[in-house]
Amino acid sequence: MNRLFKMAWRNIWRNRRRTLITAASIFFAVFFAIVMRSIQLGTYGHMISQSIEKFSGYLQLQNPEYFDEPSLDNFIENSDDIIKKLNATEGVKVAVPRIETFVLASSGHQSKGVLVTGIDPEQEMFVSNPEHMLAKYKLTPEIVEKLLTETNLEKKQIELLKFNENKLYHDLDRLALDLGLNPSDFEQYHGLLNKYASYSGEYLSKNDDGILVSSRLATFLRSTVGDTIVLLGQGRYGATAAGLFPIRGIVRVPSPDLDNKLVYMSLSRAQIFLDMPDMLTSIAMNLDDNDDMFDIQASINSTLDKEKYVVKNWEEINPTLKQQIDGDDKSGQMFLGILYFIIFFGIFGTVMMMIAERKREFGVLVAIGMRKSKLAIILVFEMLMVGFIGTVSGMLAALPLVYSFYVNPFHITGEMAKMYEDMGFEAVMPTAPVEGYFAIQGFIILLMVIVACIIPLQRIRKMKVMNALRS
Amino acid sequence: MKVIEIDNLKKTYSESEVEVHAVNGVTLDIEEGEFTAIVGPSGSGKTTLLNMIGGLDIPTSGEVIIGGSNMNHLNGSELTDFRKNNIGFVFQAYNLIPVLTAKENTEFVMKLQGKSKVECEKRSKELLESVGLGERINARPNKMSGGQQQRVAVARALASKPKFVLADEPTANLDSKSTETLLDIMEKLNKEENITFVFSTHDARVVKKARRVITLEDGKILSDVRKNGGE
Repeated sequence: MNRLFKMAWRNIWRNRRRTLITAASIFFAVFFAIVMRSIQLGTYGHMISQSIEKFSGYLQLQNPEYFDEPSLDNFIENSDDIIKKLNATEGVKVAVPRIETFVLASSGHQSKGVLVTGIDPEQEMFVSNPEHMLAKYKLTPEIVEKLLTETNLEKKQIELLKFNENKLYHDLDRLALDLGLNPSDFEQYHGLLNKYASYSGEYLSKNDDGILVSSRLATFLRSTVGDTIVLLGQGRYGATAAGLFPIRGIVRVPSPDLDNKLVYMSLSRAQIFLDMPDMLTSIAMNLDDNDDMFDIQASINSTLDKEKYVVKNWEEINPTLKQQIDGDDKSGQMFLGILYFIIFFGIFGTVMMMIAERKREFGVLVAIGMRKSKLAIILVFEMLMVGFIGTVSGMLAALPLVYSFYVNPFHITGEMAKMYEDMGFEAVMPTAPVEGYFAIQGFIILLMVIVACIIPLQRIRKMKVMNALRS
Repeated sequence: MKVIEIDNLKKTYSESEVEVHAVNGVTLDIEEGEFTAIVGPSGSGKTTLLNMIGGLDIPTSGEVIIGGSNMNHLNGSELTDFRKNNIGFVFQAYNLIPVLTAKENTEFVMKLQGKSKVECEKRSKELLESVGLGERINARPNKMSGGQQQRVAVARALASKPKFVLADEPTANLDSKSTETLLDIMEKLNKEENITFVFSTHDARVVKKARRVITLEDGKILSDVRKNGGE
């Protein structure tokens, strides 16, 4: 075998240029496939993280009727026992109580339907962590003017500054990023920003009467910290729910869709507001390993009183997101399929060319006593070597890029960012961690090489020594 | 002792509606240690006859028996193994494996036979030295002259210790000096080691060296002459 391997290795370098071109085509296919797939998977992961892990939770315990009719009438009792039981379930990282309903929010002449989420402020820190989203800076017209007149921003940065006017930020790093500035160069602006852009706001306490409002919603309602807004809706069993709520803080929610409609309220205040004493609409759960979601769901469901409770997973709760991801995933896979299809013909062409060029040599080898099966092994070795060179180099080239964007996701700015946000996505382009999809590309190339060798190997099998020697 | 027995061998090609009888009823025996030249004009059937003896081509009818084995009874893989163990080939265009050195080319068939590394190295060195290429064992074919390549081809043909060597126009691409050297080597191997050689050739110098000359015409044996001493 070693001898055949050696011959194959030497053979591939007989036509150095062809080998390099074939390996290069595989290199680029693997490189682009990995980078593209990584961005796709990273984006899905990010979307799930923002919408599921940091909001709805991977699993939710609900009243069995709530899924089909998400009304406050279909409540569950707020029992410490069940929350403790869920928290103690193997694989469940945290379980937090929630009340969720839609009401009308109004401030001045502005009104809008909003999603009120009643939370336990302390426990919620382990899921959506609203405190971490509290806006601390705002690019007010005043600070924009100061930055324009008192600093030497470049033209592009001035455009970005104007584009992001009135936006809220949790930290200065993200603000720097949106302005296209390197955070280390940005330190010179800290003084101005701390003086003119600081934004006061505080998190909710256990029995707080106030609310947190998402940043886009606050902008729409033309309200800010300290203002009071009216919430008007329907409580349990059709009771009127109305109240005035002071805004304690503004939260910048990563998901633009949620950022347009979210209001956080303390659970105790929500229970009073909606006439739901000791009641919840759901218990949201995050998991230690999301791959175990279906098993954990089944396990919890099997132990519950089916009349009173059911556990739903995020794919059932948010089918739109699931379909969106699946649809995009399919189109991405189709694109990869086309890419590999093209590369397949490159490999196939190379193998066909190799056997056409060396037909006489093959004839000689068989004439002097080499079995066709060994000849076939050499040919497969040769193609696997070319495939290996292209695949491994493609993987190695993609590795630092993928890793770098995994650690520091690419933040999209400008018009493209607006487009992303209009579509409901956060304007970032993260990559997925280096995982199995890397190996899959190698496996696909291996498979392609084997498939590309089928017809040439058949030709070798059917080769007539005399015809080969005469060629 | 008979090495090759050929009985009423025929090869007919049916191209369009015309049948061409490349070999038309050849019967002959070749004894161990013979130095035989098959001669004749182009199209007389020399190469076809040689190919059928070597199991590279299948006869339309008739039999080729080598060392008691009837070639007609062997399938593809068996024929390949039979050639590997019993027949040495020297081709007109040398046909060395371009990615292997002279030594590796010579060892190639021995390794296919499953011989040990030590044995392969020892015999390939001996053979290359016997064909005057002891200094060029690590040269690849593209670094050798035509004559040198053909000498490596002879060494390769002999490496597997075959019952006989078939050489199809071995001197056709060589200059006169290389031809002379090659023929001397083959004659020496024939005389000293009793190796059987069968050539197809046009070359008068080969005919001159041969101790038996079989002349073909239109696929039939026109004459079969045994000389005494070869010169």
